[in-house]
Amino acid sequence: MEGNIEALTGALALIGYGLAAVGPGVGIGIVVGNAITAMARQPEMQNDIRTTMFLGIAFTEALALIGFVLFFIA
Amino acid sequence: MDPIILATAECDFENEVICAPSNVLELFELPTLFHIGEFAFTRTSFLILLAAFLSVLVLWLGLRKPQLIPGKMQMMVEGMVGFVRDGIARDIIGPEGAKYAPYLFSMFIFILIGNLFEVTPLINFPITSRMAIPIFLSLLTWAIFVFVGFKKNGIRYFTDIAWPKAVPVALRPLVGLIEVVSTFLLRPLTLAVRLFANLVAGHLMLSLLLGSGIAFVLAVGDIGFRAGLGFIWFGVGMGIYLFEIVVAILQAYIFTLLSAVYISSSEHPQH
Repeated sequence: MEGNIEALTGALALIGYGLAAVGPGVGIGIVVGNAITAMARQPEMQNDIRTTMFLGIAFTEALALIGFVLFFIA
Repeated sequence: MDPIILATAECDFENEVICAPSNVLELFELPTLFHIGEFAFTRTSFLILLAAFLSVLVLWLGLRKPQLIPGKMQMMVEGMVGFVRDGIARDIIGPEGAKYAPYLFSMFIFILIGNLFEVTPLINFPITSRMAIPIFLSLLTWAIFVFVGFKKNGIRYFTDIAWPKAVPVALRPLVGLIEVVSTFLLRPLTLAVRLFANLVAGHLMLSLLLGSGIAFVLAVGDIGFRAGLGFIWFGVGMGIYLFEIVVAILQAYIFTLLSAVYISSSEHPQH
């Protein structure tokens, strides 16, 4: 059977990005959820918790964005 | 000619739903204005110089004649400086963080203005969407935190990372290797890629959506009812435009915050 995978390159790139976005999506949800719980338990620590939350979001979002950029490069 | 105008010029309105150029990378290559010998001075170079000039201009206008009861411009600039110096430098690095505040603030305002070029009406191109600026700024941060680490702690800075005492002996080589690669290689790289990828994604979405929107609506003579697609794309584009303003400010803040975190981990190595 003669198959041509060249035609699927665009679709494969799209699937690749979709798979790569699952992990950071769940991760950011966990980070922000725990940050909300912490802010509710100790309202006086809100600012520190908010800063740490942004830090956590930045780290996990980087991976999703690397996937997004590679989708356009591939 | 402008790449987005070219892209919409070759757009096939009958069959395609959105106007995308065949190679999206050409949306990021702006035309050359003039040559200095071998060096091509493109519109991007001009925008980088403009961002630097605007950063200095904002500070100069705000702090030119400081009054005891500040005017609006002075209050705004002092607010930003205070935000970076207290909220980022002092809170993260500690009391001696104030000496890094000039570097952090310069970086913050340059990246902020550079990112905001994405949403400025006539400019619409973030300078940080070309890898040169993010990688250079992150190399500067890397140079600073490595230099501070070695200056404050000597060679112990490296040995404490490569041979962590807080881990069982059997695992130390592996964890040490992971820590060394993560600290000295991955940190500058992800710092740059995070800023770069966020801004590239934003610019791509805005160019494609808003460009297609206008192109479809303007081609109503050719395609009649299909021009309604243009309105949908334009509406989504405007939503993303508002989101991009938030992303621009947030990414500048995160870059500065992470630089401060890395510097603080060199000043006070905790492991």
